[in-house]
Amino acid sequence: MNDDYLWDKTGEPDPEVQKLEEILGTLRYQPAPLEIPEDLQLPRRRNYFPWLAIAASVLLAILIGGLWLSMRSRREPTPIEAKLTAPAPAKEVTPTSSVTPEHKLPELKPEPREEVVVVHKHRPRSSAPLLSKSEREEALMAKEQMMLALRLTTEKLSLVHKKTQNPANQIKNQHRVG
Amino acid sequence: MYATADMLLTSAQAAAAAEQPQETAIEVVLVKAVLEGDRDGFTRLYHLYAPLVHGILLARVPRAEVDDLVQDIFLHAFKKLHTLRESSSFGPWIAMIARNRAVDFHRRSRETVEINDDLRGSNTQDSRATEILELIRNLPEAYRETLVLRLVEGMTGPEIAVRTGLTAASVRVNLHRGMKLLREQLGFMEGL
Repeated sequence: MNDDYLWDKTGEPDPEVQKLEEILGTLRYQPAPLEIPEDLQLPRRRNYFPWLAIAASVLLAILIGGLWLSMRSRREPTPIEAKLTAPAPAKEVTPTSSVTPEHKLPELKPEPREEVVVVHKHRPRSSAPLLSKSEREEALMAKEQMMLALRLTTEKLSLVHKKTQNPANQIKNQHRVG
Repeated sequence: MYATADMLLTSAQAAAAAEQPQETAIEVVLVKAVLEGDRDGFTRLYHLYAPLVHGILLARVPRAEVDDLVQDIFLHAFKKLHTLRESSSFGPWIAMIARNRAVDFHRRSRETVEINDDLRGSNTQDSRATEILELIRNLPEAYRETLVLRLVEGMTGPEIAVRTGLTAASVRVNLHRGMKLLREQLGFMEGL
């Protein structure tokens, strides 16, 4: 048995395979023209690439814009400068004997005012959104309830503590032996 | 049997690999041309692949139905060519369409009437051919298609591998085992 001949028609021909080829060859495909109707249009392959590219570009632009805006608002806060003028400390004027009520107090020369510059620095805002009014009320109520519960617990605990410390209670529950 | 088949796999794979790029390049060019509106390109694809489709159908459906089905399959492929993702996979793609169409044929024929598969030809040679074809059709599915493509359509093992998308190793094993079973069947027939 020659496997090469069966595989790729090389080598020594296998008589049995040759015989089968000869017999079965009568059933072989007979070339016939393909009749494609003229009205049959070939659907074109849809090219989605331009649309996808446009959509991706728009998305990218929005993303970059959003990032830029958020970075800008975080890193470049507008400093709020408040110039506060500190009131000049009143000088105590010790009355002297030479000073009469009629005398005018010596004019105090105004001291140069110190200028205090307060720069309000923006803290980076937390990502958590601010609470709305109703949420804030709800949170306050929850806080009050929590405080009440803690107070009650404390009182109960102190009561228990007192009871356990009371010597009468200790004896009360003991059995006397003998 | 298995050892013999496995020993011969290496040369088969090498031969198939050598043939594959050229075949694939033609497919790719033709598919691209057809998608750009060249109808003649599809005619060339038809002439290249009609024997493959014919062989696949001959292994599954009555002989009288094969020629019409070949035309139907190629028309269907023409309409759906834009759905083919890889141009180089035209062969495996149309082979799959042919197999599916054969399954559909049997489903429909079961629903309607029994197909009178009179394969007997007019002369002795034809009659003998149809008898052997019937034997091949009774072999396990994996072997019958490969054997028909080799013995009826005259394709070599590497050609079958390239056009169907099967590995050369699978084709070689199918050919070897299918041929062994066919020899047994033929011996049984001649013994009667």
